[in-house]
Amino acid sequence: MPQDDNKIKTVQMPNDVFLPFVVEQLKDGHTVTLPLRGRSMRPFLEDGRDKALLTLADYPKVGDAVLAEISKGVFVLHRIIKIDGLNVTLRGDGNLGNEYCSLSDIRAKAIGFYRKGRQTPDRTDGLKWRVYSWWWMRLYPIRRYLLFIFNPHIPQLFK
Amino acid sequence: MKIKKGFRLRSVCGENVVVAEGIENIDFSRIISMNDSAAYLWNNVQETSFDVESLTKLLLEEYEVDEATARHDAGQIIDKWLEAGIIEK
Repeated sequence: MPQDDNKIKTVQMPNDVFLPFVVEQLKDGHTVTLPLRGRSMRPFLEDGRDKALLTLADYPKVGDAVLAEISKGVFVLHRIIKIDGLNVTLRGDGNLGNEYCSLSDIRAKAIGFYRKGRQTPDRTDGLKWRVYSWWWMRLYPIRRYLLFIFNPHIPQLFK
Repeated sequence: MKIKKGFRLRSVCGENVVVAEGIENIDFSRIISMNDSAAYLWNNVQETSFDVESLTKLLLEEYEVDEATARHDAGQIIDKWLEAGIIEK
């Protein structure tokens, strides 16, 4: 029978089955809007708040935020920091460590992010993302401290 | 009532879900999950407008329930679909 409860629930699907399905849709020529989970792309992108607009990654390059399958069924949406032949090094903006994968493991590329509930995305070819990216990449040596400062626990201390 | 344009029922990972699909973009940030009977109703009102009456009739044709229960469930599902924003009056 039809559902008995009247609430709209948020259902989370496991990444390893859901994301391959999403990638299939990208291959059909669609772009895809995907809600983001996790804190690894802070401070620009927040867990559960923001969404990514993805397209098939044709020519990934350094600086792109990409959806990559870093091992079987394990997907991340992180930034490419180095491409050496077929070997790619990824690092989440909110992370200090790297991940490694092959160029063929890169499934999709973010072309924009819907942030803070807005209806229009901050495009990755737009000024805001490019300026943020430029600074954030160069500030890597002090990222540990920046992430600490931007961590939500700080404002709570002053409440 | 009728189904809003761009909402398509598909099977994702073994679940019946309605996904907002434009010509270019598919929005997976709003997926509405449906059980089998809701999916059955959805599939049967694709091209037509519907109301509590017609959904009740569809339920009675497919399931062994009494009319009062069917009518109650049909009303509930319409409320729910309206709340989810996937149908319009």
